[in-house]
Amino acid sequence: MPMITIKGKDYSYNDDEVINFADGLVGFPDMRRAVVVPMDEYEPFCWLVSVEDERNAFIVVNANDIFTDYKPAVDAPAQSDVKTLTIVKISSDWHKTTFNLRAPIVIDTASRRGSQFILTDNRYSLAEPVPQN
Amino acid sequence: MLVLSRKAGQKIAIGNDIIVEVLSVSGEGVRIGITAPHATSVHRFEVFTEISEANRAAEISAVEVEGTMLEGLAAMLRAKQ
Repeated sequence: MPMITIKGKDYSYNDDEVINFADGLVGFPDMRRAVVVPMDEYEPFCWLVSVEDERNAFIVVNANDIFTDYKPAVDAPAQSDVKTLTIVKISSDWHKTTFNLRAPIVIDTASRRGSQFILTDNRYSLAEPVPQN
Repeated sequence: MLVLSRKAGQKIAIGNDIIVEVLSVSGEGVRIGITAPHATSVHRFEVFTEISEANRAAEISAVEVEGTMLEGLAAMLRAKQ
């Protein structure tokens, strides 16, 4: 089983879990193959990490776990099972942590293809604060 | 950089499937129409830069993260679920 090391901690993954980002992420065109690995002790947070260069690592969380009515208009193939992740910007004061709802990461779980969408919908912020309730 | 002069109504082809058309010119503003395959993302450069910088900042925050920064929030989010 392949292994990836992030900040000194080892995470194992299966090759069939690798997600292909044909265009990389915005500003990260080389991030083409990545895995989502749960941070066990800090559930629900996960790492989204490049399997080619583990220095390219983002903290993500399932967007709807936190923002239950978040439904970005992205065109995914009909009937496909889609997972929407939001990139988290951590702050040393956790109350100031923010979530990028403007540019979600959308993964088609069947084909394992992913891409970062840029929404035109201004309701969704690049730096959405932690929900109050 | 390739520099081309075009007038309103004239077009530029990029590769086999992208067409850029100058729709109109008025004062300092130019309206541009872009026809591209569905999978090609087209954005104003400022928007692209803004998202790119947000990604970069998030990545740096992830590199610097310490468990204590995640504990409180993770506990709060688990309680919500």
